[in-house]
Amino acid sequence: MTAKRASATSPTIWTVLKWTVAILAAVIAVFPVWWMINVVFSEPGQPVSINPRLWPTSLTAGLQTVHVIFAETAYLHAYMVSVCYSVLTIAGVLLFGSAAAFEFALFDFPGRRIIFGIVMLALMVPTAVTIIPTYLLTADLGWLNSMQGLVVPGLASAFGLFMLVQFMRAIPADMIEAARLDGASHLQIYWHVVLPLCRNAMVTLAILTFMQTWGNYMWPLLVGTSPDMYTVGQIVGMFNSPLSHQTVEVVMTANLLAAVPPLIFYLLFQRKIVEGIAMSGTKG
Amino acid sequence: MAFLEISSVSKSFGAVKVLDDITLEIERGEFVVFVGPSGCGKSTLLRMITGLDSPNSGTVSIEGKVMNDIEPAKRGTAMVFQSYALYPHMSAYDNVSFGLRMAHTAKTLIRQRVDAAAAILRLDKLLHRRPRELSGGQKQRVAIGRAIVREPRVFLFDEPLSNLDAELRVQMRAELIELHRRLDVTMIYVTHDQIEAMTMADRMVVLNAGRMQQVGRPLDLYDDPDNRFVAGFVGSPRMNFLAGEVVGADATSTRLLHAGGTGPLTLPIGGLQGQLKVEIGVRPDHLRILADGEDPPPAAIAFTGRVTFVEELGNVTYVHIVLDDGTPIVVGAGRGPRIGTDDVRITAPVGHALLFAQDGCRLRGRNGTGK
Repeated sequence: MTAKRASATSPTIWTVLKWTVAILAAVIAVFPVWWMINVVFSEPGQPVSINPRLWPTSLTAGLQTVHVIFAETAYLHAYMVSVCYSVLTIAGVLLFGSAAAFEFALFDFPGRRIIFGIVMLALMVPTAVTIIPTYLLTADLGWLNSMQGLVVPGLASAFGLFMLVQFMRAIPADMIEAARLDGASHLQIYWHVVLPLCRNAMVTLAILTFMQTWGNYMWPLLVGTSPDMYTVGQIVGMFNSPLSHQTVEVVMTANLLAAVPPLIFYLLFQRKIVEGIAMSGTKG
Repeated sequence: MAFLEISSVSKSFGAVKVLDDITLEIERGEFVVFVGPSGCGKSTLLRMITGLDSPNSGTVSIEGKVMNDIEPAKRGTAMVFQSYALYPHMSAYDNVSFGLRMAHTAKTLIRQRVDAAAAILRLDKLLHRRPRELSGGQKQRVAIGRAIVREPRVFLFDEPLSNLDAELRVQMRAELIELHRRLDVTMIYVTHDQIEAMTMADRMVVLNAGRMQQVGRPLDLYDDPDNRFVAGFVGSPRMNFLAGEVVGADATSTRLLHAGGTGPLTLPIGGLQGQLKVEIGVRPDHLRILADGEDPPPAAIAFTGRVTFVEELGNVTYVHIVLDDGTPIVVGAGRGPRIGTDDVRITAPVGHALLFAQDGCRLRGRNGTGK
């Protein structure tokens, strides 16, 4: 008790050090985002690079740039494509991941261990190795420049399956058996008992999938070559390209707009993300 | 034909034989308790009846219909799990009504049945609560409620009280007996606690290592065990066993040597020719410590030993004694004068002694003597 009070009133060197490191890390993480805001919301004709400062100067100028980007470029369309791509991928990953995890975690069937092992092997294969065959397959199916070409190859997530399997293994067998005795069918057990119990893990997986899909650059670049299928990532890439004739605040605004959805997501769900990652890392 | 018949049921998990040729008949409305040490197969037998496991051989039938290939939910059985197995994301009401909802029962009927079950179990005011907001005893009642609303032909309980504290366990025991009386349905109850079994059962089934040891009314098993395992398992503290050597036997009696390291002894159990080494079983309550200078009654068992420690429980005192040949025994005594750690003499009427062969079988004697 006394020791606690002492440490509260006169901080030890250790506490000071811990806080210094934490604040430093926070500053390093936040600074780029703040710099973007700083550049976007500045008086036009006063480039921050020439006259550096750490605070924005004009809200209206920034909003004007946002308006210009939405009104005069294909940015809004790309936003819609990215949202569709993310939402469909999340829905698919959750559906296929949870259904597969339900079988792998709670039931025994011939070849279960081997099949699960093969799926887990997929976790270790880098995307660079599989991207060309996947591209060829998608092209053969005639899915280039289509939403299904963008979404379908990403629907089965080995990581998502692994995470949900770990979570579902912790569900007591008694509970599944009780549901069976209550007359619930296989699908009803999945829907009424297992899915609600996995809500936290599902939310975490949805967030992680969103982060990954929103930031995915390579796959949309390969599959969506027509301007109709450009995602936010590609559009931002075009703003950033050396031959782009946009001024720095327009380029920065395009970047900031791309970063906003993941930032909001992260702020809303940060606790769940940390919990989810800790959980999938420590169990099993 | 019995209401529930288990015939020649065997079950192995890999090389381990969990149930070995179990045959048992249970009548409608009976309260039957399966009892035995951990791993004796009692829970597995329960799971065979409800259909969560299927036997390797043999059949389970209810009201004359073989159940082996019938879905668990359609057997007319309901089970209460040791862990309660309540769904944590549902209210008590939703937990209780889950089975009915799965069967697409009409909402008004669900309401009626849940309310009726809640009234029986005094859950009325708790129905809106989630399982984590309920105490252990309340959770147990919700789990029982979930079984009641399905109106099963057979209730199955798998060690339902083992997660409760001692006081609550006694209370729930009484409630379960009352519930059985009220619902008048067949109940099968699994426990490793022989006191629970003794207090609740119409009939007790003692299992050990996958084999049925004996079936009968609790007091019959207590007074007249078929073998050494049942004799030792039923009753607390357990029966004392003393090694003995047969030196002579005729049609009405058996003479033994060395029982408990003392002299010869004659038991009124006849016709035991051919036995050499036996064990004598005497319950602690039938033994008595002789007062100083008191002579043992004629034709009684008598031996001497040294007191190691004394458990004084108020209504009864258990004296732990090591006999001259090193056998530890327990003697039940009244609330007499304090007993030190001296040598004592102990006696028991010969009529209460049971004899067991080396393989554990009870030796009753050919002429029906020995009980």
